[in-house]
Amino acid sequence: MAEQEESRKVQYPLNSKDYEIIDEIGRGASAIVYKALCIPMNFSEVAIKSINLEKSKADLDNIRRETKTVSLLSHPNILKAHCCFTVDRRVWVVMPFMSAGSLQSIITSSFPNGLPEPCIAIILKETLCALSYLHDQGHLHRDVKAGNILMDSNGSVKLADFGVSASIYESSSSSASSAGSSSSSLMLTDVAGTPYWMAPEVIHSHTGYSFKADIWSFGITALELAHGRPPLSHLPPSKSLLMKITTRFRFSDYEKSNVDSKKKKFTKSFKEMVGLCLDQDPSKRPPADKLLKHSFFKYCKGPDFLVKNVLQGLPSVEQRFMMSKLRKVVSMVKNDEEKDEEDSLEENIKRRRISGWNFNVEDFELNPVFPTEKGNDENPEKKHVTFGGETVISDKEGDSDAASNTSISGQVLDVSIESKPAASVNAENMLNRLFVLRKSLDDQRNMLTDVISTVFGKRPNPEIISREDQLLQIIEKLRNDLEAVKKKNSELELEIEFLKLQSTNE
Amino acid sequence: MKALFKSKPKTPADLVRQTRDLLMYADRTSDTRETKREEKMVELSKLIRELKSILYGNSEAEPVAEACAQLTQEFFRENTLRLLINCLPKLNLEARKDATQVVANLQRQQVHSRLIACDYLEANIDLMNTLINGYENTEMALHYGAMLRECIRHQSVARYVLESEHMKKFFDYIQLPNFDIAADAAATFKELLTRHKSTVAEFLSKNYDWFFAEYNTKLLESTNYITRRQAVKLLGDILLDRSNSAIMTRYVSSRDNLRILMNLLRESSKSIQIEAFHVFKLFAANQNKPPDIVSILVANRSKLLRLFADFKTDKEDEQFEADKAQVVKEIAALEPN
Repeated sequence: MAEQEESRKVQYPLNSKDYEIIDEIGRGASAIVYKALCIPMNFSEVAIKSINLEKSKADLDNIRRETKTVSLLSHPNILKAHCCFTVDRRVWVVMPFMSAGSLQSIITSSFPNGLPEPCIAIILKETLCALSYLHDQGHLHRDVKAGNILMDSNGSVKLADFGVSASIYESSSSSASSAGSSSSSLMLTDVAGTPYWMAPEVIHSHTGYSFKADIWSFGITALELAHGRPPLSHLPPSKSLLMKITTRFRFSDYEKSNVDSKKKKFTKSFKEMVGLCLDQDPSKRPPADKLLKHSFFKYCKGPDFLVKNVLQGLPSVEQRFMMSKLRKVVSMVKNDEEKDEEDSLEENIKRRRISGWNFNVEDFELNPVFPTEKGNDENPEKKHVTFGGETVISDKEGDSDAASNTSISGQVLDVSIESKPAASVNAENMLNRLFVLRKSLDDQRNMLTDVISTVFGKRPNPEIISREDQLLQIIEKLRNDLEAVKKKNSELELEIEFLKLQSTNE
Repeated sequence: MKALFKSKPKTPADLVRQTRDLLMYADRTSDTRETKREEKMVELSKLIRELKSILYGNSEAEPVAEACAQLTQEFFRENTLRLLINCLPKLNLEARKDATQVVANLQRQQVHSRLIACDYLEANIDLMNTLINGYENTEMALHYGAMLRECIRHQSVARYVLESEHMKKFFDYIQLPNFDIAADAAATFKELLTRHKSTVAEFLSKNYDWFFAEYNTKLLESTNYITRRQAVKLLGDILLDRSNSAIMTRYVSSRDNLRILMNLLRESSKSIQIEAFHVFKLFAANQNKPPDIVSILVANRSKLLRLFADFKTDKEDEQFEADKAQVVKEIAALEPN
């Protein structure tokens, strides 16, 4: 026990110089997540969430609450923070690096039609353990979704991102500064979360909600893992629209109708479990600890099963993130074309956390066009589908359209796939080249680092350190330059591709 | 056999007494090798959790006023709070969090329409020293900090902290390298300087010189972005509060203060600029500007007017625009003396 406490006290350095940033692995409106090495800790891998304070107009209290929450939580299924400190206008939250990334990104890259049920059971069970602990602590997560469930290379599953979490204890004390009421109601009223996963009572925030709102989102997450996207995600995430639908739509029937059309079989106990979570009446949804005892979780397998069935052959987090960035470039080119429609719809969209569902939307649209099985060879457009995990690059063609207008995206897609296979081949080549470029860059960088360390060793000579710093800076600069060129290159190539596509359209 | 008796319900007062006994035990012994110790610490954690669920209720039941009152009365009848605060480092993380929430809740419990927690703290005011010094201990800071913020809800306790030597330490705590701890200290600092209006006004007028000297050099001119941003925001909140009008008048008559605020206006950070404007406008709006303030404003008139010409908030803000127009008018009309 004492030893355990001791190991927990291992203090990560509170200085940005002690970390070496390797790669960007995620990005939101006001935060970027990096993979980094902690130099004084044997270059161990960490993830750093860098929150831009200048961009987060919400007062610093929210960020204080988030960092405090993660600092004080301690559970095997919750991603903790090693430490957090400020770096100029940013707060760096240093966390364990979860090498397999989020379930959302795993699904997008390798399981566009959803995960097999035994895998879902393990992931949901671990997530539920986290929720049970959180709720017991008086915390609501308020943003449960596959994008916030992370996996490590050993198959361990952790719930992350407490950016909008709330404590029923704290909320009363912060608002009580004016009201001074005692905290017996345990209810919150502010709207938070991501539309598709939001419980009806959260959207209708005046009625108040509590822990059961997380259970709803948990149910939606179950569907997301099973189908590759949350229900209704083909609609724009406008709150007013979802509000109308969630009250009429019987989510418990969603399984039946969808399963038939997809020919996917799920067990009765899974469907029943999800149905319980998606009851319109929050009081009828079971609490997390009770849900854990549901028969669906009874014969759950262990993390090894996930390693074998989900993680094998998965592109790295860095690769997946880069691909998602590439997709964004294409969507930007497209956006120029369809700006007007885009704007009107996007006004309703909560810009934070949008990356989470955006890609799922397209996958939904693209499923019929890009089957996951290997295509037959005489069909040229099916060939490039099977290229590694890179289907995403072709995905992208529908991106902005899907987000702005589903019917339009359908048209453009048909054209782009059926009449213009060459476009995708082009993208494929480009991506290949980029990977080669990137690899050689990394190799060079590693070689240089090796040379530096063998030449200078680790003598604490200030002069040498400064030279080392200088060299590192030069490398960094060269790297940035190359990155910029790479980006430009990809942008141009994709633009050409798009223009070609357009000209053939006409 | 044991299971048979287990179901016998304990009264809230019983639970408090048992907790106290175990706390006294934990306080005495620090020998971790003692065999019974671990068992007793587990028992203690359970008891603290039970106290918490009486005070807050749980998923099945709302809290019962009578039970809360009994618990509170027994808790403060003897020295339980002191024991709990002293033993907190010996508890595990979960028990520390539960204890913090228990202490927080107790500050608001009324017994015979009296906040007896306040009476207790007034008699044991030295406990504040332990809580404040907690900011120097990374492990304990967030727990003690949360307790501290609840305790300063009582005006007399806040007055003690404001007038104590501890107040000076906050200028350093706010800039501790651990962001979560620094932010917690900043929240406490803000609470101290905004919650109890009359006490704050009294404190500021009595301690004006050293307080604002520290505030300017350590916070407003800090090299740390967040410190400057929080400090200029809080300064605006303080000076714009009507109960502090005498302090505001004094603050906006100093050319040193004006110089600092004008530097903040020039920052590249939009958030800092906007907050700085809300303080700067007080200098300009002051109808009895001292001559040296007028001469600084006149000397910088064209620069200031240029700055305000394309000075905008991200969202449209009518009040801000009106204030800006007023400031521009004031500055434009100044006569050099």
